[in-house]
Amino acid sequence: MPVIPPRLVVPVGLLRTLAQPQPRPLITISRRLQSTHAHSRSTNTPNYLESADGLISDLTLRKHRKELTPRKFDADGNEVDPYKGGPSAIDKAVHIFFFTEIIRGMWIVLEQYFRPPYTIMYPFEKGPLSPRFRGEHALRRYPSGEERCIACKLCEAICPAQAITIESEARLDGSRRTTKYDIDMTKCIYCGFCQEACPVDAIVETQNQEFSTETREELLYNKEKLLANGDRAEAEIAANLRSDHVYR
Amino acid sequence: MILLRSIRQPRLRAFSTNVDPAAYCEDFVRKHDYDSFLIGKFWSGPLQQPYFAIKAFSTELAMIQDSVSNATIGAMRIQFWRDAVRDIFAASSLNPGSFPPRHPIALALHQATKAADLPAYYFKRIVDARDTELRSGTYQSSEGLVAHAESVASSVLYLLLALRGLGGSDTFAHAASHLGTAQTIATLVRGLPHHAANRQLPLPLDISARHGVKQEEVFRHGGDASGIDGAVYDVAVLANDHLLTARDMFKEELGGKVPALAMPVFLAGVPVTSFLERLEKCNFDAFNKSLALRDWRVSWRIYRAAYHRTF
Repeated sequence: MPVIPPRLVVPVGLLRTLAQPQPRPLITISRRLQSTHAHSRSTNTPNYLESADGLISDLTLRKHRKELTPRKFDADGNEVDPYKGGPSAIDKAVHIFFFTEIIRGMWIVLEQYFRPPYTIMYPFEKGPLSPRFRGEHALRRYPSGEERCIACKLCEAICPAQAITIESEARLDGSRRTTKYDIDMTKCIYCGFCQEACPVDAIVETQNQEFSTETREELLYNKEKLLANGDRAEAEIAANLRSDHVYR
Repeated sequence: MILLRSIRQPRLRAFSTNVDPAAYCEDFVRKHDYDSFLIGKFWSGPLQQPYFAIKAFSTELAMIQDSVSNATIGAMRIQFWRDAVRDIFAASSLNPGSFPPRHPIALALHQATKAADLPAYYFKRIVDARDTELRSGTYQSSEGLVAHAESVASSVLYLLLALRGLGGSDTFAHAASHLGTAQTIATLVRGLPHHAANRQLPLPLDISARHGVKQEEVFRHGGDASGIDGAVYDVAVLANDHLLTARDMFKEELGGKVPALAMPVFLAGVPVTSFLERLEKCNFDAFNKSLALRDWRVSWRIYRAAYHRTF
């Protein structure tokens, strides 16, 4: 009598009796590992259950096993569908996925419950703004306090909405200065061309976006309002204008 | 409501003094062209203010195309400077009705034209070259790049020579033309990452084509693009050749030493040498991070070059 190693877990005799009425082997061999041809089903699987010494290599037990559904036949020999009248595969999938969906949704809610809120308290807290953000206009001055604007009217010429109106006159020292610098903020489309066209960086668009007014007339800015904007935000403007190094 | 209005009323600054153009120009050069600012320390005495004025003018024009989003606006700003140059020189020739625009750089240049005999031609040439560059942005061949470099950077050096009273010397002018070319090509290589980020590739087309450089690949992958190392190498060799030629001018006729009077002009070669050496050190990878940093040794090298009168 051959010595049965202790690792053999399947009682050979029992399996043999169970397997007798069915010609197919209990253990289906994975096709990818066994067949040499790509699309051929392995027809002659070696019957390990009836090997000469009655032993089964324990490697075969570790292989992926898949139970094939047994084909059923009625008394006349016609095949019957065992799933007839039961739930369809789609019905079952719907149940599984929708149920897990609910669980997952609840999990996200739970996660968010323990996180700090995303909401910012708007008038008191503000979101980040790009340094290139184009908001309310301002006229800048030199650090000495002199107005930068030299009334070259390039901004007036480039403005696609024709929102800028400039009147200028020459002073006694020969410099031209604006006597009137109006921007109609209701016309302005915030394209930033005035800022780009300005050779002295006088007209800029600041990051202020909160300048709503109660009346329309308050949105017709004059020079005093623009200069005051510039005085208020000068540090911020100067930091934002810090442009790229000259590399030409 | 009335109370609110009075609080909102803008407050204006009560008084102002005139801006100092010289200080503005010096600060401008310090911010945007630090190497030239360092060299400016060797322009002692009354010539320092004109030096910074000329440098600020060239820097301002170089920056126009970086600060505008379309060529029309850039053309307008360049036209402003063309008019400014015209007015500056009209104002200096005893014309009481003409004033330079109240731009600090224009005012500083106006003072410079009064202090020294600066030819207007070179200012116009710089403006025209920047105008052409703004419109096209690419160079068909390395000859085109060299011609552009001569208009842009060599013109500045000619002006500086004129400021020193050396405008008539052929040797200096010749050396300055080669040095200016090397300077422009070096800044072009130095600015490659910046230009590529803005979807521009200002390398000469013949050199790019020789190395099979694909623009889109450079924009997307930077220094990893195929052939860009070779193209940068060729361009750097071109710059180095011009730098060596400029040095040779002094070797043949003046024994290798630059005369003390002309030395501050030719100190501009030191940052170029320094950059080309650093480029060589990182194996001509123009997109290397170390090249974006300012070289801390350059101030020492400028001092040493001024002391030994070589560049």
